[in-house]
Amino acid sequence: MADKIREEIPIQLSMVAPGQDVQFVAVHGGWGIRRRLAEMGLNPGVKMKVIQADFQGGPIIVAVRDSRLALGRRMAHKIMVNTI
Amino acid sequence: MAVEGAVSNRSAIIDYGRDLEKEIATLEGSISKIEALTARYPARWLAVKLLENDSDVKEKVRAIDGGVEIIRQAETSMAHLRSIFGDEAETVIADRRYGFISGVAKKVLRKPAIDRLTSSDKIDNIVTNRVLGIPIFLISMWLVFQFVACSGPYSDWLDGVLAGPICRWGITIIKLISLDGTWVESLWVDGIIAGFAGVMVFVPLLFFLYFALAILEDCGYMARIAFVMDRLMKAIGLHGKSFLPMIIGFGCTVPAIYATRTMREWKDRIVTAQVASLMSCGARLPVYTLFAAVFFADNPGTFILALYLFGIFWAIVIAKLFRSTVFAGGEKAPFVMELPPYRMPTLKGVLIHVWERGAFFFQKAVTIIMAVSIILFFLLNIPWGVSDMRDSLFGKVSATIAPVLAPMGCGNWEAAGSLLTGFIAKEVVVGTMGEIYVAGAQEEAEVEEPTNFFQDLGEILVGFWDATVDTVKSIVSIIPGVNLMDGEEEEEVTRLVAALRERYTPLQAVAFSVFVLLYIPCMVAVAAFRSEFGTKWALFNAVYLTALGWIVSTLIYQVGLLLGF
Repeated sequence: MADKIREEIPIQLSMVAPGQDVQFVAVHGGWGIRRRLAEMGLNPGVKMKVIQADFQGGPIIVAVRDSRLALGRRMAHKIMVNTI
Repeated sequence: MAVEGAVSNRSAIIDYGRDLEKEIATLEGSISKIEALTARYPARWLAVKLLENDSDVKEKVRAIDGGVEIIRQAETSMAHLRSIFGDEAETVIADRRYGFISGVAKKVLRKPAIDRLTSSDKIDNIVTNRVLGIPIFLISMWLVFQFVACSGPYSDWLDGVLAGPICRWGITIIKLISLDGTWVESLWVDGIIAGFAGVMVFVPLLFFLYFALAILEDCGYMARIAFVMDRLMKAIGLHGKSFLPMIIGFGCTVPAIYATRTMREWKDRIVTAQVASLMSCGARLPVYTLFAAVFFADNPGTFILALYLFGIFWAIVIAKLFRSTVFAGGEKAPFVMELPPYRMPTLKGVLIHVWERGAFFFQKAVTIIMAVSIILFFLLNIPWGVSDMRDSLFGKVSATIAPVLAPMGCGNWEAAGSLLTGFIAKEVVVGTMGEIYVAGAQEEAEVEEPTNFFQDLGEILVGFWDATVDTVKSIVSIIPGVNLMDGEEEEEVTRLVAALRERYTPLQAVAFSVFVLLYIPCMVAVAAFRSEFGTKWALFNAVYLTALGWIVSTLIYQVGLLLGF
C-alpha cells in the first residue's frame, strides 16, 4: 500500500484541484492531529483524491482508501502531498 | 465487490515488523510481571496501546502499582522507535494495521478496477454543493420539524391515559387502603399525576425528534450537515459539529448538551453547550403560544418566530463573546470527519438509537420531575389547609422574589411564581399561570363514571389506535397539496387569556416571554450540563443565562416604557 514516496517538492492539499490524484507525504501539526489522521488511514505514501472543493475557504472532501474524509480548509493547508 | 472464501474468525495477530515487535515483546515481558495489569488487560494489547501513546490507557496504567515504571519504559521504547523510523510509533503501527487490512482485503475481495465516482459521491455532489447544500439542509430540517409536530395526537393520548385510567387506578388503590379524601389522594391527583402528565406530553415529541434525527444520522446525511455548515459556524467561533447540537436544541436542550460529545475539543464543546439552551426548546413554545394568543392574536406566528430568531441572535453573540473571553484560545480543533457512504437506514438501527436516547431522557425526567412535583405540591399546601395560593409557602417565596423582577415589569408574585416553576420545566409556566389566575382551573374531574379495569384498558388501546391514525394522516399531510387533517379546533384557553389581558400590557408580555426564552434552563438541562461539564460550569450556565435574561428583559421593558408602549 505504502508506495515509495517520490522525490518531489510537496504541495498543500488545499491547492489541489478536484479530481487530481495525489499521494500523502506529511502533515504539519502536533501529535494529536497526526495520530487522528493516521487512524483514518492517512499514512505517508497513501494515495488520495480530492473529490470536492466547492466551498471557498470551507471544507473539502477527499477519497482515501475506501472512505471519504471531510477536511477543514485549515487542515488541508497543513497536509502536504505530491501530485501523481 | 465480491467476497471470496471465508475468513476464520480466529483473532488475527498483526505482525508489526521486526523493530516494533522487539519493543512490543520487551514491554510485554515487563507488563506480564505485574499481576494487577495482566488480570485486567491482555499484555500484548497493552504494550501496543502504550506504544501508540493512548492517553486513556496510560491514565489507567499509571493508577496501578508499578504502572509508572511501565510507562517510563514505554516512553524509552517510543524514543528509540522514533530514531529508527523518523516517525512516531503510532503512525507506523497504524500503517502496519492498514497494510494488514489491505492484505486481507486483496485476498478476499475483488473490486472493479476502474476508479470512478461512486453513487455516494454523486449524491454528495448535489447535497454538499455550494449552491444547493444549504437549501437542501433547510428543507430537511423543515421536514424534521413538520414530522415532530405530528406527535401531537400521541401527547393528547398519553395525557388522557394519565389523567383518566391511570389516575383512577391510583385512586382505587388509595380507596382500598381507605385513604381517600385525605391529602394522599390530593397528592396523587394534583401532585404526582399532574406533574407526571406535564412531562409525559413531551415524551412523544422527543421520540419523534429522535426518530427523525436517527434516520438522518443512519443514512449518512448528518455528517454532511456538519460539512455544509462548517464555514458558517466557524464565522461565529464555533465548529461545524456545533451545528447539530444546536438544531437538536430546538427540540430539547438536554439531548443537545449530550450531542456535544461528538466534538473533540473541550472548549468547542462547552461553548456549544453554553448556548444550546438559547435555541428555543419545545417546552418554551407553549409559553410563547399563550402570550401570542393573548396579545398578538393578529399575528401570533410572527411573534413566535421573532422569539426564536431572538434566541438564535443571542446564541451567536454569546458564542462569539465566550470564544474570545472565558473560553478563548485552546487548540482550534481541526475539522476532520469521515463521511460514511449513504445507505438505507434499517428500522432496527433507528429504533435502537431512539431507544438509547429516549429512555435516558425518560428515566432522568421521570425521577427528577416526580420529586419536584411532590415538593411543589407540599409547598403549595403549606401551611396545611391553605385555600389561597398566595398564602402558601410557595406564594410567599414568590412574593419575596417578585421585587427583583419589577424592573422588567413582572414584579408581581404570580409572574415570579410561574417563572419559579418554569425551572422544573419551561412549559409548567403556563400551567402555573392557569392555576393561579383561573380559580379552580383544573377542569372539574369529568363526571366520574365507574369503570372497570378492562373498560379502561380498552379505552387506552382505542385511544392509541386513534392517535396512530391521526399521526399517520398528519405525516402524509406534510406532502404539499395533501391535507387529510380536519380543521384544527382551537383549544379553549379563553379564561386564562382574558385574565392575562386584564393584568398585563403587551410590553410586559414581551419582556416576560423574552425572559422565559433566556433565563435558567430547566432543571433537567442543568442536571445534564452538570453531568457533562461539572457543577462549576453548570452553575455558570444557569447564572449567566439568568443574568442575561434579566438584563435584556429589563432593557426591553424600560426602553419600551420610554417609547410610550
